[in-house]
Amino acid sequence: MPPFPGSALSLLQNMNSSPTSNTNGSTKSRPRQLVQARAVQRFKWSVLSVLIVVLVAVLFPVLMLQLYFSFHGYSVYGGSWWDAEFVGLELFEEVVTDPRLGWAIIRSLLFATGSTIGCFVIGFGLALLMYRPFRGQAFYYILFILPMLTVPIVIAYTGEMLLYQKGPVNDLLSSIFGRQVNILWLANADTALLTVMVLEVWNWVPFSFIIMMAGLAALPDEPIEAAKILGASKWRVFVEIQLPLLRPVIVLALILRFLEAIAEFPKAWSLFQGGPGSATETIPTYLYIVTWQYFEISKGAAMSYVILLIMVAIVLLAIQILRREKIGLDQIYDSRKETTA
Amino acid sequence: MSNKISRRSVVNGGLTMAALSSLPMPRMAFAASEEEGIIAAAKSAGGTDLKGMIWSNYYVAMKPTVPAFKQATGYGVGSIQDISVFSIPQRAMAEAITRSPEFDFFHLDSNMIPSLASAGLLEPLDKYMDKAGFKLNAVGNFGNFMKYKGNTYGIVTDGNVHVHMCRKDMMENPEEQKGFEDKHGKKMAYPETWEDDQRLMEWFHRPDKGIWSSGNLRNRPNGVTWWYMYFYSAGGFPFDDDMNPTLNTPAGNYAVETYLNMKKVSHPEAPGWGTPQMIPRIASGKIYSCQYWDGAIGLNENPKKSKTAGKYTYGLIPGSDFSGKRMHRSISSPVAAILVNRYSKNKERAAYMAMWWATQKNSETIVGDNVNTFHDPWHVAHFKSDKVYQTYKAGLPAINSCLQVASPPIYLTGLLEFQDQLAKNLSEAYVGQRKAKDVLPETEKAWKKIVRKIGKKKLKAELASYKALFPKVNVPG
Repeated sequence: MPPFPGSALSLLQNMNSSPTSNTNGSTKSRPRQLVQARAVQRFKWSVLSVLIVVLVAVLFPVLMLQLYFSFHGYSVYGGSWWDAEFVGLELFEEVVTDPRLGWAIIRSLLFATGSTIGCFVIGFGLALLMYRPFRGQAFYYILFILPMLTVPIVIAYTGEMLLYQKGPVNDLLSSIFGRQVNILWLANADTALLTVMVLEVWNWVPFSFIIMMAGLAALPDEPIEAAKILGASKWRVFVEIQLPLLRPVIVLALILRFLEAIAEFPKAWSLFQGGPGSATETIPTYLYIVTWQYFEISKGAAMSYVILLIMVAIVLLAIQILRREKIGLDQIYDSRKETTA
Repeated sequence: MSNKISRRSVVNGGLTMAALSSLPMPRMAFAASEEEGIIAAAKSAGGTDLKGMIWSNYYVAMKPTVPAFKQATGYGVGSIQDISVFSIPQRAMAEAITRSPEFDFFHLDSNMIPSLASAGLLEPLDKYMDKAGFKLNAVGNFGNFMKYKGNTYGIVTDGNVHVHMCRKDMMENPEEQKGFEDKHGKKMAYPETWEDDQRLMEWFHRPDKGIWSSGNLRNRPNGVTWWYMYFYSAGGFPFDDDMNPTLNTPAGNYAVETYLNMKKVSHPEAPGWGTPQMIPRIASGKIYSCQYWDGAIGLNENPKKSKTAGKYTYGLIPGSDFSGKRMHRSISSPVAAILVNRYSKNKERAAYMAMWWATQKNSETIVGDNVNTFHDPWHVAHFKSDKVYQTYKAGLPAINSCLQVASPPIYLTGLLEFQDQLAKNLSEAYVGQRKAKDVLPETEKAWKKIVRKIGKKKLKAELASYKALFPKVNVPG
């Protein structure tokens, strides 16, 4: 495909939009801007200080207590936790060499990747259908976000009823394909994780939908209009203008959903409790089993820290990606400002 | 009419009373004194309403007996936290870790007694029982399920035990009988061994007619319950006297084989099914047979809730000749019982409340509730009670005989951990994630680690309590 002269970057760089009030250099507006900036700053700190207090007062002691357990071999059957023996890194060694945790991490990554992609593709598709105003839009909007407002456990049990071998989903698939479909959604070790994935997608498509709706609504009209005037097809407008401009929003939607999916517990536990076999033993499930079925509080605490470190690494990577995307977008908009100036 | 009482009439009256008291009639008099003893002791303990952790499905049948206790003693149950009986062990352990006095009693599986007592949560109840003159009058050896290291830690409310049930209507069909006899060279009869049961299930397996012969559970959390029955009836016991696991033995492998064999006659969705899925199939007649918790009998025989009223026959759980002698072993898990919080200020009062629920009269009311059949018969008197009979009907003798051979799961500290390792490996073998021959060696490996972690010495000291729960008979009388 030949490069389209009106692709996102070039269009924004070359466009002549109307000048904004900021570029007038009005001296009167400067004190007002200063006041505004201070107000924003005050607001930021008033919100942040509450969060910091909560973090220090609630989360920090919990994290410290968990750290204490991670280094002490506390047994619920062996007296007080404050008398537990110091074991150094022994528990961490046990955790990182535990093959069940290894498999749980693999399952969680598979699950999070699959469900994130599923949520995004459907959510983005719906957003593309919905972002331009049309009659009855509000009704569809409410309809599409309903699953997100439903408690995950309800999603799980509703899904269970739909997914029995002789349930409506297999019936529907049978009539679509014209032959008997008998997928064992709830009993086959090869499909169980996929089942939770499907339910997760059902539950959280609205999340991706809302983010992408917001992203699409915030796109500037000018490059799209210009491309259309220059004769670009809808597909080319989408691929060469909308998609590149949406990249930061897409990355954000994917990252947030991925992080949320890693922590999925209610559906997997209520439907499978780790089974069939160990097919749905994901990180949260295994962590629960170790801590609250085996009552290995110390091992559970050490495991939580290991998982926390993995999650921090994923989040740092995500922040890095987001920052790069933001810089890219800032460059586009800065060059646009320079051009207009 | 003279009001005078002659010496002769007093002597005659005394003799008559003495003669009457030797007859087996005075059950009502005993019941009254049983309750009076509890009330007298409870009154001396003062009066503040209690707070318990109990599943409302169980509490609904117990609640009607509380007002009478409150009227007599000044306290009853003030509030409950309504949690599933399957989640209470975790919640109770959290209370143990924090040494919380928040709850006065917990209603949960008594097989958790070793773990919770080891965690310091449970109050021994013997002294309160002595004070109230109360004794658990359970069938067979069932009362021992409440004991650990010589102390009583629980008061039973539910005689959960697996009974065998199979479709009488199908077995009485002459064509079926003839076909079976022609194929197997022996008459169709109630199964005495697991092999008999398998043969019958294979015969009646009719997926084309919607009948998947076996109604036994094979999901990860529950399936292991069945394995215990196969294992124990083959003469197996999971540890030697030095706490080395003894699963990978001929008896263990026989149990795994029996467990996996049933896949042929189980519904393809069985690996994912628990009670919510299986009970409707049992009550709608979509299976031929199963071993199931005895509460299912009450449901099956209730024509308002079931299509199978009168169609099942109930009896002793099949046994095994594997060890060289015929042994029948049923399983009791979970056995719902009241356990009292040692950290509670109301522990004594909670103990009397628990005893109140376990008297002959009150337990009959609780067990005889034919709407919520969560509490099943356990008291010797339940098996002579018309009220209980109305709920369990023909199934009542079966419950009695299965209680006589009731066995526990791993009645040791660490029950859930031991059990989940075995359950996971069995489930993996059932769904093809693991080879059958690896199930027991892998479980043994995991169990050795658990023994090391909890402490060999501690667990060895518990072995006697575990063994004491086993039935004294191999075949009930």
